[in-house]
Amino acid sequence: MRAAAEEASDDALLVLYANGDGRAAAELTARLSPRVFGVAMRVMGNRAEAEDVTQEAMLRLWKMAPEWRTGEAQLSTWLYRVAMNLCIDRKRRARGGHVDLDAVPEPPDPARSAAEEMQEGARHDALQAALMQLPERQRQAVVLRHLEELSNPEIAGIMDISVEAVESLTARGKRALAAGLAGRREELGYSDG
Amino acid sequence: MADTDKALQELEDLFAAARAERPAVPDRLSAAILEDAARELPGSRSAAPRRRARQPLWRQLAEAVGGWPALGGLAAASAAGLWIGIAPPSFVPDPVALAGYEDSSTTVPFDSYDMAMVLSEDLQ
Repeated sequence: MRAAAEEASDDALLVLYANGDGRAAAELTARLSPRVFGVAMRVMGNRAEAEDVTQEAMLRLWKMAPEWRTGEAQLSTWLYRVAMNLCIDRKRRARGGHVDLDAVPEPPDPARSAAEEMQEGARHDALQAALMQLPERQRQAVVLRHLEELSNPEIAGIMDISVEAVESLTARGKRALAAGLAGRREELGYSDG
Repeated sequence: MADTDKALQELEDLFAAARAERPAVPDRLSAAILEDAARELPGSRSAAPRRRARQPLWRQLAEAVGGWPALGGLAAASAAGLWIGIAPPSFVPDPVALAGYEDSSTTVPFDSYDMAMVLSEDLQ
């Protein structure tokens, strides 16, 4: 079963689960939860929040399993979309209501200091600190494109925007990241290049 | 321009490093996810409908005609039919006339009292 499960597609595993095969859940969890958790960590910048988002997204996957229509969409795309929406909801709640997430950058001090305190000096932590300075949607697009290596059309589907909007968000996000990291070049070990 | 290119290249290096160090899912999170999966497993819920195999006759009949939606439609159609029978709309032809009978007022000119009076006059 284990070998067969490893070869099965995500869709096939979800169908197995929907038919009452609990072992398919273990394989789906092993495959999908690290991706959701990784994205949630980068987007939320907080481990506890990322864990909550991951568990909630996977719970929605289990609940949705009986209604899933094989071949209509990619399961991972659906799951990324759920996770990104959960992240946005949590950010909104944390800010106490509706805000335009494209317009408002993250509050700089708490996020940056939290990241710095947790893992000072490492390059990926510097990247995380810089990511947290980006507006929410830019950060999501950059994480999905450059850390998850998804295609622009797939990101467009996840974020429910056009491919052109994805290109614009990632381009602006990269420029802002590069500018943000420029001041930390020595710290990152790029001072001699 | 060269500085920008260098900064973007450095950013690409950071992305590559971050991709190589994907955070591991904590064991307790995996356990919680699998607990949710076990709780939501469709087979555990499908056991309940199987118990419904012992159903009263009226419920079996309802399911035989297509369940509650079909039964609702049947009831609505029956009510509409009854209402049209009692109070037919103006555009619906009178079923009595269609059957070949004429209005009773034209075929029976007198009631029984009048008939009795006429007969008694004839006898006189």
